[in-house]
Formats: sequence, structure tokens, C-alpha cells
Amino acid sequence: MMQVMISETELVASIDHVEVEALRRWVDLGWILPQRDGDNLRFDNSDVARVRLICELHYELRIEEDSMSVVLSLMDQLYQTRRSLHTLLSAVEAQPEDVRARIAGLVNPQR
Amino acid sequence: MADPYQTLGVTREATQDEIRKAYRRLAKKNHPDLNPGDKGAEARFKEIASAYDIIGDEKKRTRFDAGEIDASGAERQQPEREFYRQHAEAGPGFKYERRWEGAGPDDQEDLFAEIFGGRGAGARVKAKGPDIAYTMSVEFTEAVNGAKKRVVMADGKALDISIPSGLKDGQTLRLRGQGQPGFGGGEAGDALVEIHVMPHPIFRREGNNILSTLPVTPGEALAGAKVRVETVSGTVEVAVPKGSNTGRVLRLRGKGVPSPGGNGDQLVELRVVLPDHPDDELVRSVTEWEAKHPYDPRKSQGAQP
Repeated sequence: MMQVMISETELVASIDHVEVEALRRWVDLGWILPQRDGDNLRFDNSDVARVRLICELHYELRIEEDSMSVVLSLMDQLYQTRRSLHTLLSAVEAQPEDVRARIAGLVNPQR
Repeated sequence: MADPYQTLGVTREATQDEIRKAYRRLAKKNHPDLNPGDKGAEARFKEIASAYDIIGDEKKRTRFDAGEIDASGAERQQPEREFYRQHAEAGPGFKYERRWEGAGPDDQEDLFAEIFGGRGAGARVKAKGPDIAYTMSVEFTEAVNGAKKRVVMADGKALDISIPSGLKDGQTLRLRGQGQPGFGGGEAGDALVEIHVMPHPIFRREGNNILSTLPVTPGEALAGAKVRVETVSGTVEVAVPKGSNTGRVLRLRGKGVPSPGGNGDQLVELRVVLPDHPDDELVRSVTEWEAKHPYDPRKSQGAQP
């Protein structure tokens, strides 16, 4: 996937609600991990989507910043677990039919 | 299109504040990014947002209640929005993997640690690397006597291969550990080298014996002679017995393919060869001799002279 990196100004302009101060606070809190190019911040597609999500949760759905840390932590762990699971599933899919059948039998014995 | 009041689970008499609260509660609960395993979340979330679009806005709500707009007519034409989960689920190595506080690298791959007793994706899955197949041509005599050959592997690595003596065409040599690297500390795969033995202008092979033909002159065949004969292990002197005809086979013991159970032999078939341009003298003397001593070489075939 091609990564388009955008600046702080471009990011603020492209997302409703967000203000530079809030954005910088979120970066300081480690919620957003842009690349640092000297004093400038560069945001990739996943950063933009994450800022958009945090804005939505914060400004529209009123999740306060204290609670946001918990939400993001749980969310990151959930996605990490899902990525691990997908890696594992790909490994299972690469196995011969009989091995997959044995694993399926153990995972879902009633079938 | 569902009724927006029903979608948000509020009565038609609900205050704007109650509607907003209901919306926030449902949107949080059904947000696709917070429910990555739930395929229906995105559709529900969009429906909730559309409902709130109408009755969350006091003016639109009044018009809706008056029947001026319906739920679908007022639906916001949203561009296909991108959710965070599309990035987060794209694959391993996502940058927000190691973000959360207190989690060192050790804590993150517990899933694999539990299954494989180690950390890291598949780190403890110990497996031998794949084999790599090669083909190689060797000279006839190299295959018979054995040889050292240097081959350049696919990865540019040069490898010295010992061709054992007596190797047959089409045989495969297995070079342990010369294949692709193993996984998780497993041993490397093997290189499988299929050997093609090139044909030889003089020698053929039959089991452990070497077959060849030996051209001799009529005089050598008649009077007997000592001639030099090529073998796979060098030139030897062979006595052609007096009166040897074409087709006679001389056995050179032990001059065949080396073998632990006793070397094979070389079988030399004699072939009496006339000079390329027989002159009158030869023709006359042989025909005069034949006139005095007639014989029928085709007698055994029953043909008439």
C-alpha cells in the first residue's frame, strides 16, 4: 500500500473538530505515533484514521481523555490479538488437509 | 428504512438530550473499530448514525414528525468512510502494536508463547528447511572412476561434490544441509543433485562391465598381435589371439567399473577392418587365395553362395 504522509496542518484541515493543541497532546500521550521530521510531524494513513477515530470517540461520543487511554489500550490489545490470530490461521491454512482436519476437530470437537 | 426512534430506542416524546445520550451509548457499543470481530457492527453503526442525523437535529426532527421527510429521504449521503480497523487489521507489524503502556516486547506474543513454548511468531516451531533440486552432467569416466566436481548453487555458493565411483546415469546425490535454511533452529534442508552421465565415444556401460569395440587389421586378426586398448583406467596392451574373427570378445578382467564386490570387466569386441581403399594387390591375392580355398561364411544362415 502506498503511504501518503501528510503534515500537521493538512491533518487538522482534513478532520472535523480536531485542533492543533489536542492533536499535539495526543501525540505527547503516545496515542498517535507520527514520524518526526525535525520539528515537523508527518502522519501516515493509519495515523489519520486513528486521529479520526479518537475525534469521533471524544467529540461525538463524549469519551473523556482519561477513559480514552483505557479504550485505546484495550483496542490496541484487541487488534494485536487479532493479528496474531490471523497469522496463526494462515499457518494452519498452509498445512495439509489431514493436519487442518485434526486442528478443526480439537478447536470445535462437537462438529 | 427503520424508524429512527426505534433505531435509537427512544420514544417520540424523548428530549433532544435523551436522544443524544441514546445515540452516544449505541454508537459506542456498535462502533466498528471497537468491534472488529463483529461483521454486522458497521451496518448497525451506520443505521444509528443515520437515525441520529434526523432526530438528533431538532429542525429535521420536526419535519420528520410532520411527515415532510422520511427516514431514507433524509439519509446523509456519506462518502464510503474508512474505519481505523482497515488499517489495524491489514497485517502483522502494525505500528500501534507496541504502543500500550507497560507492555514490553515479552508480553506481546503470549499467544504464540502459549502454543509453541517460546515467544515470537513460530520461533519455536522447529522445522527442517526445504530441499533444493539440482541436475548436473558428468563425464562418463568421471562417473565410473569417481571425481570431485565443483558446482555453483542457486545462491551463488560454490560447493564441492564428491562423485562416488560407479555412479549410474539418473542417480541422485543427497548433500545434507546444503538446501534451504531451517526454521526456528531446525536443520537446513538438503541439496538433491541428479546426475546425468554423458555418453562416451568408445565406452558403453552394462551393469559393472564396460563394453567397447576394437578395430583390428585382417593381418592382426589372422596372425595375432599385441595392440593398445583404451580402458576407463588408462591404456593397456592386449594380445589379440591368432585367428581372431570379427565379433570375438576379449575380456579384460577388473577393467570395468570399480565396485566393492569386485570390479567389473571390460569386454572388447573385435572388428576386422579393411583398409579404406583396398588396392589391386590386396584384392588379387585374397581372391586368388579364396579360389584355391573356397569357404562359405554364410553357411550357418542357410543362404546360397
